[in-house]
Amino acid sequence: MSEDRLARLALSGRRKFKDRAVRGAMLGATVVALVPLVLILYYLVHKGLSAWSASFFTTDPTGQSFFANKGVGGIRSALLGTIVMVALASAIAVPVGIGVALWLVEYGKDSWLAKVVRFFVDVLTGVPSILFGLFIYIVLIVGTGTSFAGYKGSLALALLMLPIVTRSAEVVLLLVPDALRESALALGAPRWRMVARVVLPTARAGLVTGSLLAVARAAGETAPLLFTAAFTYKTSFNLGGFMNSLPVQIFNDVTSPTEALVNRAWGAALALVVLVLLLNLSARLISRTGRVA
Amino acid sequence: MSERATIRPVEVSTPQAKPAAPAAPSTTTTTQAPTIAVEELRAFYGRAEQLKGIDVELPANQVTAIIGPSGCGKSTLVRCINRMHEEVPGAHAEGRVLLDGRNLYDPAVDVTAVRRVIGMVFQKPNPFPTMSIFDNVAAGRRLTAGRRAGMREKVERALRGAGLWEEVHERLSEPGMGLSGGQQQRLCIARSLAVEPDAILMDEPCSALDPIATLKIEELIAELKRTVTIVIVTHNMQQAARVADRTVFMLDGRLVEVGPTKQIFTNPHDPRTEEYVTGKFG
Repeated sequence: MSEDRLARLALSGRRKFKDRAVRGAMLGATVVALVPLVLILYYLVHKGLSAWSASFFTTDPTGQSFFANKGVGGIRSALLGTIVMVALASAIAVPVGIGVALWLVEYGKDSWLAKVVRFFVDVLTGVPSILFGLFIYIVLIVGTGTSFAGYKGSLALALLMLPIVTRSAEVVLLLVPDALRESALALGAPRWRMVARVVLPTARAGLVTGSLLAVARAAGETAPLLFTAAFTYKTSFNLGGFMNSLPVQIFNDVTSPTEALVNRAWGAALALVVLVLLLNLSARLISRTGRVA
Repeated sequence: MSERATIRPVEVSTPQAKPAAPAAPSTTTTTQAPTIAVEELRAFYGRAEQLKGIDVELPANQVTAIIGPSGCGKSTLVRCINRMHEEVPGAHAEGRVLLDGRNLYDPAVDVTAVRRVIGMVFQKPNPFPTMSIFDNVAAGRRLTAGRRAGMREKVERALRGAGLWEEVHERLSEPGMGLSGGQQQRLCIARSLAVEPDAILMDEPCSALDPIATLKIEELIAELKRTVTIVIVTHNMQQAARVADRTVFMLDGRLVEVGPTKQIFTNPHDPRTEEYVTGKFG
């Protein structure tokens, strides 16, 4: 009897076949998605590594070398420019973004103003990055009749980072258990001190992770810098003047007809990917030590 | 229980708390704690009325247990006493809570001061996860900008008061989350004691603990009432019978009966109380 039932309830050959077919299709989709990823990384490492040398990181790029087709220089000014501009952008966007998130979670909550802020933060998250560059270009360059400058690039990057930092920080702050807020308040803590001493330390790792991901995103952006910080060969720490950056140098080099410059672009692209990878890795490591998120 | 030996009385409460020797042997100091009187208290969540007019007195240096079925408003009542109820979005309360005659709902009263005078222990132990054992106890004072001087003595006094000192004094810098559930709850009690409150509200403090840990907390409550007035919400009627001097029975947002614990359990005047304490409903 029971043997009969087992036989009757067994999967039919048709269903077994369907199961196998669907599983196969999913595996196929995964492989298709992986192919371009692997190819990009392979090309990048293959082409980029051949451009790398000790002097690649320590020399500034030289100009178009149609005539003296040797010694195109490296990426020093671009690497340092990216670091300086992204650092300034982070110094603006991270505190402001976390501040907005704190207000949303601890004070604004479900008020209409908080809903409006949340809506605009969401809208900003979806804005194409070139619009941030365009906005700064129109306001700070055309509007003031002044020239390109590193700090204007930083501002454009900060605008790009702001919604990312705010959104990730809000999610992390919401993960802090309300029981902790309650017990701090029940001890007689004023709200701001409860936030500073209990909520922020508890959410610290998650806040750092979210901010680092925003930093990584900003480091790879070309569009906000193209017509705000422009392009230059020389290493410069003057945020008031033109500044080079990795994405913009790649953009310029890769469109050049000179093979040496295209190779320099590959080397710079690999450097940029490694930089972003390091930022992502440290974000992961830090999030692992976290209390929440 | 050998635990008894580690519980030593503390001197907290009174604004001019005298500096007691931290390791004082078991004296039987009693500090006058305040009486809390609840008058015409109504509490709301949005439009819903959860407490429909409560009048009850919670006498000084006594343990008052609040019992009643789920949803009857026990927790809301204690959360109204230290004004934590209004932290819930959309919630508010009307009426008066008098602490030795001072109305805590007077607009001139600072809500953070209310909570420093009336401490609270929650259902689930909730030490601050980023802080060490020491810092958890010190947090009460740091969060309220209490004077930093003599923090070590104050932390030790609070931990002794919560009967936890002997178990943790060698690892004060370890995280508070590393303790067992019962120890965490006593850590939370120490955290409230460090603020030197005059009264402590306990919202089902043992419902997440095992019987041994529960017993320790109950012994602690008996010890603490020498210095503070205690209100404890409990689902466990045996617990109410064990720890409380007086018991309040609530039903559907109203107070049904209040009296000495023994009378409530052996000779209740109201038939609904009798049905509840004999287990006919709830």
